[in-house]
Amino acid sequence: MNGISKKLLTTALASMLATGAMTISASADDTIKVGILHSLSGTMAISETTLKDTMLLLIEEQNAKGGVLGKQLEAVVVDPASDWPLFAEKARELLTVHETDVIFGNWTSVSRKSVLPVIEELNGLLFYPVQYEGEESSKNVFYTGAAPNQQAIPATDYYLEELGVEKFALLGTDYVYPRTTNKILEQYLKDKGIAESDIFVNYTPFGHSDWSKIVADVVALGADGKKVGVISTINGDANIGFYKELAAAGVSADDIPVVAFSVGEEELSGLDTANLVGHLAAWNYFQSAESDANASFIEAWKAKMGEERVTNDPMEAHYIGFNMWVNAVEAAGTTDVDAVRTAMYGQEFPNLTGGTAVMLPNHHLAKPVLIGEIQEDGQFDIISQTAEVPGDAWTDFLPESAVLKSDWKDLECGMFNTSTNTCVQIKSNY
Amino acid sequence: MQDAVLTKFLLRHPSVLVFLGMLAVFTIGVTVLSEGFGIGVVSTSLVKTLGKTLCLALAAIAMDLVWGYCGILSLGHFAFFGLGGYMIGMWLMYARTELIVLKANAAAALPLTPQELSDAIGVQIFGVVGGSEFPAIWAFSDSFILQLLLVVLVPGILALVFGWLAFRSRVTGVYLSILTQAMTLALALYLFQNDSGLRGNNGLSGLQNLPGLEETSQADVSLWFFWGSAFALGVCYVIAKLIVESKLGNVIRAIRDDESRVRFLGYNVEGYKLFVFVITAIMAAIAGAIYYPQAGIINPAELAPIASIYLAVWVAIGGRGCLYGAVIGAIFVSLLSSFFTGGQIPNISLGFYTIQWVDWWLVLLGLSFVLATLYAPKGLGGLVDKFKKA
Amino acid sequence: MRFLLTIIMSVMLAVMSLSATTAQEADAFRQVLSDNYKLIQRSSTKTVSPVLEAIQNTNFQGAAEFLDKWQEKELWFRKSDNAFVYVETDDKKTYRLLDVVDGTGLGEVPKKEIKQIKPNSGVRGLLAARLVQFQLTDPDVEVRRKSLESINRDPKLEHLEALRIAIEKETDAGLLAEFARIERILTIKFDEDPAARIEALNSFSGALSIDVRASLNLLLTTKLAVAKTLPEDINIARVIVPDQTGVNPDGSAFRLHGLLDMGGDQTELTRDAAYDMLVKANLAPATIDPAARKEILIANIEDGKIGKLNVSELDSDEARDSAYSDLVLLGKAEAFLTEDEQDQLISEHIFYASYVETNQEVTDVAREVLNDINASVTLNQFFDLALDGISLASIYFLAAIGLAITFGVMRVINMAHGEFIMMGAYSGYVVQQIVPNYTISIIIGIPVAFMVTFAAGVLMERLVIRHLYNRPLETLLATFGISIALQQLAKNIFGTQARPLTAPDWLDGAWVINDVVSISWIRIAIFVLGILFFCMILFVLNKTRLGLETRAVTQNPRMAASMGIDPDKINMLTFGLGCGIAGIAGVAIGLFAKVTSELGNDYIVQSFMTVVVGGVGNIWGTLAGATMIGFLQKIIEYFNPSNTLAAQTYMIIFIIIFIQFRPRGLIALKGRAAEA
Repeated sequence: MNGISKKLLTTALASMLATGAMTISASADDTIKVGILHSLSGTMAISETTLKDTMLLLIEEQNAKGGVLGKQLEAVVVDPASDWPLFAEKARELLTVHETDVIFGNWTSVSRKSVLPVIEELNGLLFYPVQYEGEESSKNVFYTGAAPNQQAIPATDYYLEELGVEKFALLGTDYVYPRTTNKILEQYLKDKGIAESDIFVNYTPFGHSDWSKIVADVVALGADGKKVGVISTINGDANIGFYKELAAAGVSADDIPVVAFSVGEEELSGLDTANLVGHLAAWNYFQSAESDANASFIEAWKAKMGEERVTNDPMEAHYIGFNMWVNAVEAAGTTDVDAVRTAMYGQEFPNLTGGTAVMLPNHHLAKPVLIGEIQEDGQFDIISQTAEVPGDAWTDFLPESAVLKSDWKDLECGMFNTSTNTCVQIKSNY
Repeated sequence: MQDAVLTKFLLRHPSVLVFLGMLAVFTIGVTVLSEGFGIGVVSTSLVKTLGKTLCLALAAIAMDLVWGYCGILSLGHFAFFGLGGYMIGMWLMYARTELIVLKANAAAALPLTPQELSDAIGVQIFGVVGGSEFPAIWAFSDSFILQLLLVVLVPGILALVFGWLAFRSRVTGVYLSILTQAMTLALALYLFQNDSGLRGNNGLSGLQNLPGLEETSQADVSLWFFWGSAFALGVCYVIAKLIVESKLGNVIRAIRDDESRVRFLGYNVEGYKLFVFVITAIMAAIAGAIYYPQAGIINPAELAPIASIYLAVWVAIGGRGCLYGAVIGAIFVSLLSSFFTGGQIPNISLGFYTIQWVDWWLVLLGLSFVLATLYAPKGLGGLVDKFKKA
Repeated sequence: MRFLLTIIMSVMLAVMSLSATTAQEADAFRQVLSDNYKLIQRSSTKTVSPVLEAIQNTNFQGAAEFLDKWQEKELWFRKSDNAFVYVETDDKKTYRLLDVVDGTGLGEVPKKEIKQIKPNSGVRGLLAARLVQFQLTDPDVEVRRKSLESINRDPKLEHLEALRIAIEKETDAGLLAEFARIERILTIKFDEDPAARIEALNSFSGALSIDVRASLNLLLTTKLAVAKTLPEDINIARVIVPDQTGVNPDGSAFRLHGLLDMGGDQTELTRDAAYDMLVKANLAPATIDPAARKEILIANIEDGKIGKLNVSELDSDEARDSAYSDLVLLGKAEAFLTEDEQDQLISEHIFYASYVETNQEVTDVAREVLNDINASVTLNQFFDLALDGISLASIYFLAAIGLAITFGVMRVINMAHGEFIMMGAYSGYVVQQIVPNYTISIIIGIPVAFMVTFAAGVLMERLVIRHLYNRPLETLLATFGISIALQQLAKNIFGTQARPLTAPDWLDGAWVINDVVSISWIRIAIFVLGILFFCMILFVLNKTRLGLETRAVTQNPRMAASMGIDPDKINMLTFGLGCGIAGIAGVAIGLFAKVTSELGNDYIVQSFMTVVVGGVGNIWGTLAGATMIGFLQKIIEYFNPSNTLAAQTYMIIFIIIFIQFRPRGLIALKGRAAEA
């Protein structure tokens, strides 16, 4: 063996070093770097590319307004390619090689769990914009999406109180968000007096497309004369097949309503909604919300991305998170993570749906919960809007979590056991 | 005695020495340039990437052995790689969580009963995936030694059973490829289920934090694993070379070239194939067990069929039937991948259209597979040989 | 009763549409609206009923229209004074307001000044129920049908009377039957005469519809109770033995068979639940669980000791138990019953369930009818499962059939097969963008998809595969490269969002055989398409010149060439055909599921397994393989309905084992062809 493979290796290494050096020299003090950690390829690209574009739009607008602290913002986009270990690798790269001051990113819970140890080790700052299962609190993460008590519980209350549903079908994709949410909901329903035999649970794989039997099973639940309602935590494009089957089976929203926690405007744009009118979704934001801020946000989005594009809830989460971060940086006068974190508590920013979002000491937002009915044009008709609900990191409906509390401001602990008055752990659980 | 054999072997095959020498130089070079023990030019994230790449190279050697030398195109060897990761991950998670629980309960009014301790660990580990009970497969996770043994045993036994069944019924060629693909798919689907007891889609995470060493910086830990990866690669390279250069290696190559003829000559073809299949599965498992603590997380998506296909592609690009070819292929493709997805290459603007590397990299990669198979059937390793002859 | 009278009166009023609205009624109506404007604007099921009643009590003629508009989300209010209005608009920017009482125009305002009222579906249901009395005799058949539906959704006692009046006037024969059916369901539920109920019950013998089953099951609702002896004056459904009996759908009990019981039958009442019942009924002392005991222990720590034991020794359950019994002896904690004592108490009591319905005759008949129905439901469920199996099999078959040609016949391992399916689906999507009519676009889309993928297949064969015919495993790698390139290319062109491929109206909905058995038309279409392709390929391969030449080339290319066949051309055409068919399959799959760049990924492994399990080189084999896999998966799903993922896992494991025993597949080629 031979010169050439050695040469190959050395060139590879040299080019690595060169790029490393290049980035170091480029990271002069004239810009503030914002890392964007969303998958641009692979299975999650379908949802996450939109968020990357949202971030680019927000940064562009902020720069037009003169940037932050008198400096321009610079977006550093990386592609973790829906590969969960790669998320950890890219997060480390963003924090150490690119030296970004903040990261906006992630969609799936598993990608967040992958990034958590890295962010905590390097004391980074992550804004996570998607509704999730809770049961977690990290010092270095701000959760701008909904916790279960900001989406699942109000939607279930709506079923119980407004629609009089007595029998529940919990359909979900087999991963952590549906599993944990359904576990919380099962306990919640039992507390509300629903018998275990009246709760039907089903888990399907990602991208599942053969729904006829499951839909038939759900319809058959009505045979004992109780009003049936479906709570769907089905993820991503599996929804398309599910709704198509639902429409084909002629399941009317008046007979068996379906409320979804992962279906928004973006997902509906992939199907014809004429037969789905009246089915529900619960979010903190709908494009159809009437407010001036929302109108201009939608206008800017469509101008950048095209008339047919829609806005959705995680986009609003990034909108709020980004603006809060900007304000916190301005308030702290620095991008230093600890200073910004302290400045984040109590930050207020107007929601696109009206009202004001507040950042709580447990790193969650207080946001209103909206329930919308699907319309023919793929938009949602908002039929219920609550006052602001404070996000809860640890659910009150599971005995082992009910005693836990997260407070990073005064207690300096994300997993505080209120019954023993001890901090279980400072790092988050992953 | 043993030493003498080894020396003789090394003298007969100087390329092994060259390889080991380059590996040593590379390892020392990275160490000197690293943040942990050196001047800090090579970032910790790059050290991790390089360490992981060495593990992938080791898996590629296993793949080369089973495919390039024995002719079994296994599209399931990444399953063994992943299993190895899962086995070590179970111990890492258990031990780390146990420390957290003990620390949190240090001031409790009553000491914990064994049951309470196990419950508390269970809640910590499985709470995030909506469970709380310890499944039976975690029985040995509290013992490092036993779990380390399982790294070898579980993939080994799986390979043994699967291989015995498949070879016994003379499933060969493409059929075997598809069967191994089905195996890794079944395993991935099984692990995807929350009920499998290995945290479903979430998998095992936080593996980079070694129990009891929370205060040690990742710059150091990453180097330890980097050395471990280099060492394992070196040892397995020598073992693989020993195998292929022995009489055993001749029989294996003969099986690749004409299986029936070898059988008619009286060799127990199935036995040889089974041996290679199992030994490579174990090699892949060891590579996985070193890889995932560096990656930090293992989950079922890692075992998806596509990962095993990539493994085969690395070997094809590097050059089959040539051990250093496999190493070159794995290193070349995986480093290039991480380079192109890193957002470090400026986009090329054509005026009417901007070529974004993130978008076009996979297209290029795919086409390069085609070109490699068409025009460089012996891969990059083959090019090296050509160069040597010229 | 007064309420009932009001209803009947207002029905009559509406029917005869007599009186002109008196000013008095209009004023009352206006008053009710302004008194309750908040409850109407943000309506909730919990609070809206009194408002509805008040509106109805005004007897105002326009009330029905008001409720109807409210239900249809056509009611608005002016923000400035909370006045309710109807609106008309041409441009969705400015709105003409109309008064809800007399329809007079109230001027034109921009959208900002008014707000639409959006009742939720619970409120809409209540509105619909109120409107029933006006609509049951509406001249429009559709309105009558709708109001029948809303009665059926939430039957009320007062509906029965209204229904019986309206039924006399019904003229539409089809609707009359439905009227009669619903009337019988309401009779079972509300009539006071047992004879009428039994008659209605008997008329439903063998009926499969969900609403009938629902009313029977509701009639047979039971509630659990515990007592020292079985009371006399109840309509007893079953006696329960904890841990030993289960419950039938009709409310009777059956005995579990212990170890032999494999079917997952569960006991109705576990021992622990039974004891809890006793505690709730004050028939037994409460248990003290370990957690509570621990609390008590902690509360009694004195100087690092509990009783005589050091706290540090209490690290096992035994030690804690003994510490607790020490506390009991000291009188510092309450004693609790042992397991045996609890069992004793349980055996001293009788657990039973009684029907909520007190008339035993009625429940007996209902039970008989329900058992009868359930038997035929089970039968139909199996039929439905079989339909699902066939449907899944045809999807697998359609996805795999192109591969059956390229891989099965030509032995080319085309890993990009899935991407050809995807390409077909996107072709269909593009056509639909150009041709808006769904029917025509599908008719154009299918041949376009075929041509696009045929061309791509031919191109790929010429450029790549041709050079690799003697290196099959390398074809795998090259086509895999093409696969990831194509996938990413699709992403770059069409974006990552799922694209809609919408079926024409005539494929919407389902073929409903009865309330248990139904299948969507789109699945039937896929089944038909699968059959069609199967016949076509069988014909092409066995009866045409091309088929003959294809078989000749695959079996012995040199011999074929010397017989004057151009193997290059044949290979090219055959490969193109396989790819083209995959493209058509893509249109079908896109119609029933989704169009994304990942579409092909979902089918590629499955397709290879279908072909391998069935037996390579034989279209019959692919059919057999798809059928086996489809049915198998449905059967496993039937046994484990809550976890579809597990079903898929077990199916693949089954396939792996199956291939060990039949390595050449279900339908294996024999003789020389097998060696090709």
